Amino acid sequence: MSLYKIVIQNLYRRKIGTLMLVIGQAAGIAIAVALFMTVDAARLELGNQIDEFGANLVIVPRSEGMELSYGGTSISQVSFELMRITEADLPQIREIPDGNSINVVSPKMVSTAELNGKPVILVGVLPNREFLMKPWFEFAAVDVSRPEEEAKDPVHMELESDNLLIGAAVAEAMDLSAGDLADLNGTVFKVAAVFKTTGSTEDGLIYAQLPVVQELVGKPQELSMIEISAYCNECPVEEIAAQLTAALPNGRVTALGQAALLRGETIERFALIANLLAAAALAAAILLVLTLMTGAVSERTREIGIFRAIGFRRSHIMQIILLEAFTGGFVGGLCGFLAGSLVAATAGFYLAGITGAAAWQWNLLLPIACGSALLAAAAALTPAIKAASLDPLEALRFI
Amino acid sequence: MENNTLVRAEQLTKTYYPGGEPVVALRGVSFRIERGEAVAVMGASGSGKSTLLSIIGGLNPPGGGEIFIDDLDLYSLSAERRADFRREYLGFVFQQFQLIPYLTALENVMLPLTTTAYSGQIKKEMAAAVLERVGVIDKSRRLPNELSGGEQERVAIARAVVNAPPLLLADEPTGSLDSRTAGEIMDLFKELNNSGLTILMVTHNPDNCVYMDRTITMQDGMLISGDREEGLPVAIPAGSDRCQGGQ
Repeated sequence: MSLYKIVIQNLYRRKIGTLMLVIGQAAGIAIAVALFMTVDAARLELGNQIDEFGANLVIVPRSEGMELSYGGTSISQVSFELMRITEADLPQIREIPDGNSINVVSPKMVSTAELNGKPVILVGVLPNREFLMKPWFEFAAVDVSRPEEEAKDPVHMELESDNLLIGAAVAEAMDLSAGDLADLNGTVFKVAAVFKTTGSTEDGLIYAQLPVVQELVGKPQELSMIEISAYCNECPVEEIAAQLTAALPNGRVTALGQAALLRGETIERFALIANLLAAAALAAAILLVLTLMTGAVSERTREIGIFRAIGFRRSHIMQIILLEAFTGGFVGGLCGFLAGSLVAATAGFYLAGITGAAAWQWNLLLPIACGSALLAAAAALTPAIKAASLDPLEALRFI
Repeated sequence: MENNTLVRAEQLTKTYYPGGEPVVALRGVSFRIERGEAVAVMGASGSGKSTLLSIIGGLNPPGGGEIFIDDLDLYSLSAERRADFRREYLGFVFQQFQLIPYLTALENVMLPLTTTAYSGQIKKEMAAAVLERVGVIDKSRRLPNELSGGEQERVAIARAVVNAPPLLLADEPTGSLDSRTAGEIMDLFKELNNSGLTILMVTHNPDNCVYMDRTITMQDGMLISGDREEGLPVAIPAGSDRCQGGQ
């Protein structure tokens, strides 16, 4: 016989009370877990969406100018002075405090050029960075002389100085195929590969090695743009943008993915409401535990008197009451975790519009069950103190 | 020379204030109980006998006076130490048995051992031994509501003596039993007393007195019968008139 045996036997005897304790606690925990996991899944999905957007930060040369617009329509920009960003600026990007959140840095030179006598936009890139950042690029056709490995994924393409990669729209408009030769600003280049259509303006671009384009436009080492992919799931992109602005005074840093950020704000607002709802659910669970345990103590006045009379200390009585709440809370926490996770996994779309299922976070099972148990025990503190303070004489009605 | 007095009450007083009005329960009660004695406390309802029992049991601090058990001033102890004292020194047999309904007979008997350092096995063996002694070992796995009144009383007595206390306090132990069963229970008390256990029993039933060594009779919060020794009433001598003054 131990105190815990008494607790277990009493919980078993008071089946309805125990069931209410467990269900009440489970409901509170389930609501909190469902909301927490749904918000967590929504944040994760948003992070993935942002990452899928490719670059979420763009650095362009700062211009001391003035935007002229009327009624929200941009008319022109008056530039007084255009500053320069160069390859020498690149190492500083990873030196910022949140440098660990920087995933890919893709410098590029963008210029207009003439391809077979027609104007095109030429982009100088480092292919293994550019296409790592933009994984949606796929080849429609690759020069047969290229190694098989390169044909699989643009990120593996080792462009030579006279090679071009061309977008689907350019290939169609100029009737170019992989392996064809083309005149670019008077120099003959070979089309190493043609991209599949992406459905965006990228279909109208042609790509060459960064140094080649810098040479073509007569601006060696200079960059017209640096695109950065940062892990914004774990850090605020605005914070990184601010740090980059400080690190690169000649650059103007812009955070992209506004739609995603807007959705992020929506999620954060939902998270705030979810937190309030979870807090309300837990508060209701605590009140229920308090009510049930107070009732249980009142029901067991005589029993507590017997315990005290035969030598149980006040601390023993408190332990019994608290252990009962703790045990009920622990079981309620387990049930609540399972129910909440199930709701999050199956009803996430209806709760927060997430398309994927919220992951079962089994690593949280024990902490949540223990947290629930502690919460229930805390809720039972007042009834436990009341029980311990019962006059054994009154309890036994000796008078 | 060893002091043979187990319980010594000196000028105990107690006043309750139900509804704000004072009701005097004890008016300067003094007596002694020697080791190995079986003493009945008799008196009409409201005479103060249950109050006296609760004070001796460490459950009800007196308004005045002192109670010594084994020369220890009981109410000089803190409430928690008094709980320890009850566990080690006192056994209680309550009215209506007062068994815990969701524990088996064996578990009920083990209750006073719950907070002791004995191993679970030892506790079980101790409880089983005492159930054997009171004659209900075959009912050890039953819940109280599966036992007859007499069997519940035996389990209650077993619970009271499982920790081998020097003093057993019983409050109307046969009040809920028929006369035959009550007789059997009183035989059991006598047997326990013969083995050296000191018993103080509050009872209304004069038939129980014949099992006791002497009777203290109370009326209006005072002892109205008993020998006196050094000014303290100690007992009515054993014998055929031992229940005199009882109800």
